[in-house]
Amino acid sequence: MIIFRVFLLFFILITSVKANTIYDLIKIPNLEIYKINTTNNLRYLYATKPFRLGVNIKKNIHCFDSDKKTLDKKYKIISKNLNRYSSDFLKKINLKYIVLCENLSIAKINTAGIPNNLTRTLILDIKFNETYFERAIHHEVFHIINDSYKELFKENEWKNFNKENFKYSECSTCNNKWNLSLYLETKGFFSQYSKSTVSEDMAEVFSHLMFYQNEINNEDLIINKKIKFIKENISKIDDSFNF
Amino acid sequence: MIKKIKISTSERIILVFITILAIFSLTSFLLIKEKCLFVKKYNPYNIQFDNPQNIAVLNADCGNVIIELYPSVSPNSVKRFKTLIRSGAYDETAFHRVIENKLIQAGDLEFGKRENLDYGKVGTGKSGLGTIKSELDAEFKYLRGHVGMARTFKMNTEDSQFFIILQDEPLFEGEYTPIGKVLYGIEVLEKVKFMPKFHIVPRPDFINYLKMLN
Repeated sequence: MIIFRVFLLFFILITSVKANTIYDLIKIPNLEIYKINTTNNLRYLYATKPFRLGVNIKKNIHCFDSDKKTLDKKYKIISKNLNRYSSDFLKKINLKYIVLCENLSIAKINTAGIPNNLTRTLILDIKFNETYFERAIHHEVFHIINDSYKELFKENEWKNFNKENFKYSECSTCNNKWNLSLYLETKGFFSQYSKSTVSEDMAEVFSHLMFYQNEINNEDLIINKKIKFIKENISKIDDSFNF
Repeated sequence: MIKKIKISTSERIILVFITILAIFSLTSFLLIKEKCLFVKKYNPYNIQFDNPQNIAVLNADCGNVIIELYPSVSPNSVKRFKTLIRSGAYDETAFHRVIENKLIQAGDLEFGKRENLDYGKVGTGKSGLGTIKSELDAEFKYLRGHVGMARTFKMNTEDSQFFIILQDEPLFEGEYTPIGKVLYGIEVLEKVKFMPKFHIVPRPDFINYLKMLN
């Protein structure tokens, strides 16, 4: 027992300090402040070195540092989009930290962003496909909203909007062939990616509402039900929210 | 017959040099060992305060740290802090988490006491009074010397542990409940024992006592 205690104590004592405020706050290593005095109190951080994250030793989330020129360019785009969310709204949905890095992947599948409402963090891949980049920001913000308000965004209610024989895929990261292109004929879904899971479908609707704003003029009954659902539930979180 | 050899001038110089060096080394050793030698001592009873009812005095090995508490910023947290101070709960508790020139944390009343310090658990102890809510609504810039309530990774888990920062920490605003500021004696905290690259300080320094001025 004494040997075990000595071993345990030694193990505790050799754990090196990550004397890093950012790491202490959001548990992501190798980050520095990019900008913290923003109008809606979002704090932008950037990777100074590649980092790996994960719940176990596999650490299957991977992202790389970027050059200053890319950071500066993408920060403008990201902040322009995220400034549409008020400080109050961001507080309600638990979003405070935006991590900027490039070539973000989870289980080796590239992704636009990884949200975590518990750490109030959204990791964004600033090298993500430019065609969808801005819309993807709102898509990822919706995941934070959804994770913070699971009770509002009921999946079974959503599933009933679709045709009876439709089934979502098992998961959104099961393959990397999902396409984000907008369908010309929607048939209940904005994109192929919408068909992956309920939460991705919701996020696609939300991101279209945010990105295309009033340009959506759809006669698709299913899409209209989904839009109504998203708008109603977002207004329950913040009745002053504007799409 | 023994011939007396006279010491030469150069030998005399070397002897004097070695003697001076020995004296210098010994003095330096003693000075370095006395870590509190150049720390200014503050007696709170010789200082005039605007709000003496909100002044707390933390006594550590190198002297007093005089802290002004901010009940108008964080009423519940300051109330909890004062309650624990008045009960003497913080006396003889370890500065269990010390990061050089950055942060110093203490106040684990369960596992951080001198008589039953538990290295395996220190930092996780509770006061027995339950947790309180984070108070983050007021705008508050965390600057060197500010005092805040520590919490777990989750909000609203503040209890008895507190920290004092030794450098400005802009990211702390809106994250940790501020409760006050060191007015005098931050040098005392800079002398608290730390261990480079280690989280927990083995054989840490302790708060001798923490009391309210009035």
